[in-house]
Amino acid sequence: MTARRGFRRSIDALPELFAFTAETIAGEGRDGALLSSVDLVLEELFTNCVKYGRGATPVLVEIAAIEGGVEVMLTDRDAEPFDVTRAPPVDTTLPAESRQPGGLGLHLIRKLVDSIEYRHTPQDRCSRIVFRKTLASTAQRTQTGETHAGD
Amino acid sequence: MLAIDFGADGRVVVVSGRLDAAQAAAAQAFLDRVEGAVTLDCSALEYLSSAGLGVLLKTQKRLLASAGKLRLTGVSRHLQDIFAYSGFDQIFEIEPAR
Repeated sequence: MTARRGFRRSIDALPELFAFTAETIAGEGRDGALLSSVDLVLEELFTNCVKYGRGATPVLVEIAAIEGGVEVMLTDRDAEPFDVTRAPPVDTTLPAESRQPGGLGLHLIRKLVDSIEYRHTPQDRCSRIVFRKTLASTAQRTQTGETHAGD
Repeated sequence: MLAIDFGADGRVVVVSGRLDAAQAAAAQAFLDRVEGAVTLDCSALEYLSSAGLGVLLKTQKRLLASAGKLRLTGVSRHLQDIFAYSGFDQIFEIEPAR
């Protein structure tokens, strides 16, 4: 299974994005438990494209089935380079009064995915992000009680 | 879509649907009006992104500053994970879904 669709560069396109993941992941018989995690990672990446991208071209999302999960590629043309895998860590141990809204999106991505790769080609100003998510990684984190590791 | 309103008893705030970047402003507008010790029933909350976490954090900080607080109930396993990954399990009193 491989599905591909372009999305207009707008927060209002999120329902269309979620409909696409639902029909591709749950609709293809993949476990629905994958869906929330994939949706969250895609939302964080897509909203970054909306906030910081300048191009008018749609953001392309491709979803392919892999063993026990999915591989997702997001392509953003006419984008400034911004390596989502190198975002500064978030101190999740601070009390409420010291926490600031924002910055959690990329932190959550690191927690949820099995792997993530970022590539930017200056020639065509194209950013490509590929992440993998399997159910096995979710189950493993739940069993080991992992919550704050990985930063 | 997202729905947020007071429950039948008028004391508990019930949120349902998806609290994403497209819905965060509506949720914030509602929660900006609550005062004191507030319980947010999340049993019908299907999805929460960092935008939604920001709404909850902003509300909690405001309420704590005036001796109130936001308490979360009916929290699903997936949302418990999201709260734990964010450190929000140390900021909010969380009652898991039954």
